[in-house]
Amino acid sequence: MDDILQIFFQECDEQLQELERGLSALSDGESEHETVNAVFRAVHSIKGGAASFGLDNLVRFSHVFENSLDGLRSGRFAPTHDVVKTFLKAMDVLSDLVNEARGGAAVDPTRVAESHAELAAINSIGGDHGGAASAATTEDVIPADFSPVPIDFEPVAADFEPIPFDFDFGEEKPAPAAAALRVTFHPHDTLYERGDDARNILIGLADIARECGGEIQTSCDRSALPPLADLVPDKSYVTWHIVLPPEVSEESANAVFDWVSEDCDFSIVRESAEDEVPAEQDGEQAEPAETEAAAAPPPEEERTAEPPAPESALPPAIEALLPMPVAAALDLHAGSATTPPPATGAAQAAARKPEQASIRVDLHRIDDLMDLVGELVIAQAAIESLSRRTDAAGQHELVQSISSMQSLTRDIQDAVMAVRAQPVRAVFQRMQRVVREACSMTGKDIVLTLEGEDTEVDRTLVEKLTDPLTHMLRNAVDHGIESTEARIAAGKPAEGHIVLSAEHRSGRILITIKDDGAGINRQRVFETAVKRGIIPPNAVLSDDEINNLIFMPGFSTAATVSNLSGRGVGMDVVKQAIQSLGGRITISSTPGKGTTFGFSLPLTLAILDGMLIAAGGSTMVIPISSIIETMIVKQSDIYALPDGSNVISIRGDCMPLIPLATALKLSDAPPRDSLDASIILVVENESGARAALIVDEIRDQTQVVIKSIESNYRQIFGVSAATILGDGSVSLILDVSALVASAIGHIDSKPSNTRPELAA
Amino acid sequence: MTEQIELKRATDPRIVKMIVFAIGVQEYCIPILSVREIRGFEKTTTLPFAPPYVCGAINLRGIILTVIDLAIYLNVPPQPDNPRRVAVIVESKDGVVCGLLVDRVIDMADIDLKDVQAVSEEGSCLAGLVLVDDRMIGILRLDTVVGQLVGDTVSE
Repeated sequence: MDDILQIFFQECDEQLQELERGLSALSDGESEHETVNAVFRAVHSIKGGAASFGLDNLVRFSHVFENSLDGLRSGRFAPTHDVVKTFLKAMDVLSDLVNEARGGAAVDPTRVAESHAELAAINSIGGDHGGAASAATTEDVIPADFSPVPIDFEPVAADFEPIPFDFDFGEEKPAPAAAALRVTFHPHDTLYERGDDARNILIGLADIARECGGEIQTSCDRSALPPLADLVPDKSYVTWHIVLPPEVSEESANAVFDWVSEDCDFSIVRESAEDEVPAEQDGEQAEPAETEAAAAPPPEEERTAEPPAPESALPPAIEALLPMPVAAALDLHAGSATTPPPATGAAQAAARKPEQASIRVDLHRIDDLMDLVGELVIAQAAIESLSRRTDAAGQHELVQSISSMQSLTRDIQDAVMAVRAQPVRAVFQRMQRVVREACSMTGKDIVLTLEGEDTEVDRTLVEKLTDPLTHMLRNAVDHGIESTEARIAAGKPAEGHIVLSAEHRSGRILITIKDDGAGINRQRVFETAVKRGIIPPNAVLSDDEINNLIFMPGFSTAATVSNLSGRGVGMDVVKQAIQSLGGRITISSTPGKGTTFGFSLPLTLAILDGMLIAAGGSTMVIPISSIIETMIVKQSDIYALPDGSNVISIRGDCMPLIPLATALKLSDAPPRDSLDASIILVVENESGARAALIVDEIRDQTQVVIKSIESNYRQIFGVSAATILGDGSVSLILDVSALVASAIGHIDSKPSNTRPELAA
Repeated sequence: MTEQIELKRATDPRIVKMIVFAIGVQEYCIPILSVREIRGFEKTTTLPFAPPYVCGAINLRGIILTVIDLAIYLNVPPQPDNPRRVAVIVESKDGVVCGLLVDRVIDMADIDLKDVQAVSEEGSCLAGLVLVDDRMIGILRLDTVVGQLVGDTVSE
């Protein structure tokens, strides 16, 4: 049961994603039948699953949601902007309800009620011709095109409640006209345990019949009723057959059972369609009905099989023997009926612990991996046999073999990475909601466009991106985009626009958040920074440096602290979070045009392509991704600066020269008189600033496994992590950005990519 | 019988098993429970901007840890050309692992805490002095030594 519930929640996640995708397609104006159906199916599947697990809240809400979606599907109303908005809101509530069922935070009932009312309102737009119309539409759309979800249901208790004896169930009338609605209703014990009464249901049915000007005909099936001596007073034994007048819609009949669907078996069938499987009909309005109907046959058989047994075998002489089997049978049912709830509870408890502990992987990726492992085994065998040969040719082949093994290892590594890789879609789509909520709080009208959701990154990264992105998007909504009036005054469209995109760029993933708001008000940022004592009042800062001030701890320019942001915590937290993932943040902002934030992140947190270099007697690793070129310098290209440092001109581009050994204060760095013929690496940081590192030697290019040194040591300037080389020794991985930043800080506060602008 | 004595010693909270090692001529000890292993000294990787007493980093089965040259740290002249130099790998209470480079490991001793003479200085790396077989042995305060590695407040 635990497992099945687990699967249900996984499916819910998938369905919610599907729903989100469908709804955003709808809001983009794509109202194809397929899209609408996909949306409908998603909600329907959630409802179906929820019903079989007895998740009442979820069932009720998704039921209403589904009804409204059905209106859309049958074309009663068009997917206008407002309608889609309401659906999106309902989707948020739905996903919260799923989370609640999983053991997450409880959902505020007012929110549910609000969304509930909105959905109902939508439904009434198109449904003013009354229930008959909707009944007609439901009937012709339902049957074929939805696939019932695979569901597991709680066994239906086969023991019944006594009927209240004051109730008159005597009358039996012939079945009326062909289109009459036939309702079969069998309450469970739990219905009475919950304080409800079968009588209420019958009265409810009578009421709707009266509304349509008809009357109900009730008959009671007492076949399951044991003789009085064997009757257990608090069991439910009878089943009612109610015939409703043809005017009554199935929907309204279903509504009567809305609150008791869990506690009774019921089916609602048009007389004419009686031969068909009832589930096909019921599925539309009430998934519970479908599950129940599907569930019904076996218990029904049991019911008819068992109770009659005592009846037929009733001669008083044997009566004494009877209690045994009957009791056993009852125990059995009681057992099967009572075990599921605790199991469900346990599953929820279990679901709370691991957040998505499993991932879904394309089969072909696993197959690729398997193939590679097979090759690895062969390569290993080849090396083993070669290593036994002693002749020179064998030696040569061994080297070849090892190098092919090397590429194999790399392929396996890539394959494993591919298995772990996940599209950023999951996180990105969550952001839609963040923006929607932020919009409703600030009263702004903003559209979030997602680009490159299929970009894949390691799943650890995907999870850790959620918080920073949430912060950034809230900020963009709250501070980035101006109020509607200000936008109109500035001649911009009233609707704000934010683009969230992801792409691969040279072995890293680049995530950008671009808004078309007012841009960063540098004047105000500067003033605020001075006021908060972050910078001295006479500081001279470049635009870029001012932009970066917003990442300082405790910085906030917002005039008022809003619910969303403005407390001055956030941006620095974002920066820390991104940096802890080995990423960097860049900002570019044009006043009046908008702001773009870029996160550049490594694809994986585990492995890095690096160049092995030697400087000051140590072997170090420089990430390949930050190296632009390597060369040997000529003395004529080097210019000394008054402070003793040097710059080098490479094809007309000047950049600081960093003697690596000295910059890292490695003790045994040999002093060099002439820089002529030194080996340099031209490196670049994320914002495009370059510097040249002088190294003693370039040794190799290799993949290294990143190891933290901070767990047992403090952070070292210029070093991002460490790794272990083939010979078992430790090698440091250099933090190129920090080195470049410090070198530029010495010589020129502007990154080199701004120079063309200055020259122009 | 011996087991019982062992047990008695182990359960007596005032008696602590210490490992005794020497740096130069001076002997020091640390609680044996904080020692993970003892390794022969190997080549270390120099760390930039490290305080002089940090020899560098070594690889201990995939974990990178730093080695402290206790002779420099304690300002004691080390034995020259000592082939028995070993790194004692220790783990502090905070879970920080590091290596202590010592000249030689001598033996283990049961030290009764009531025999320990406190060193008055606060924040010192010595927790106290104890007399074992007429030898004065300093008890290292491991958390102070290791804590300096991780914290930013290292005096260089």
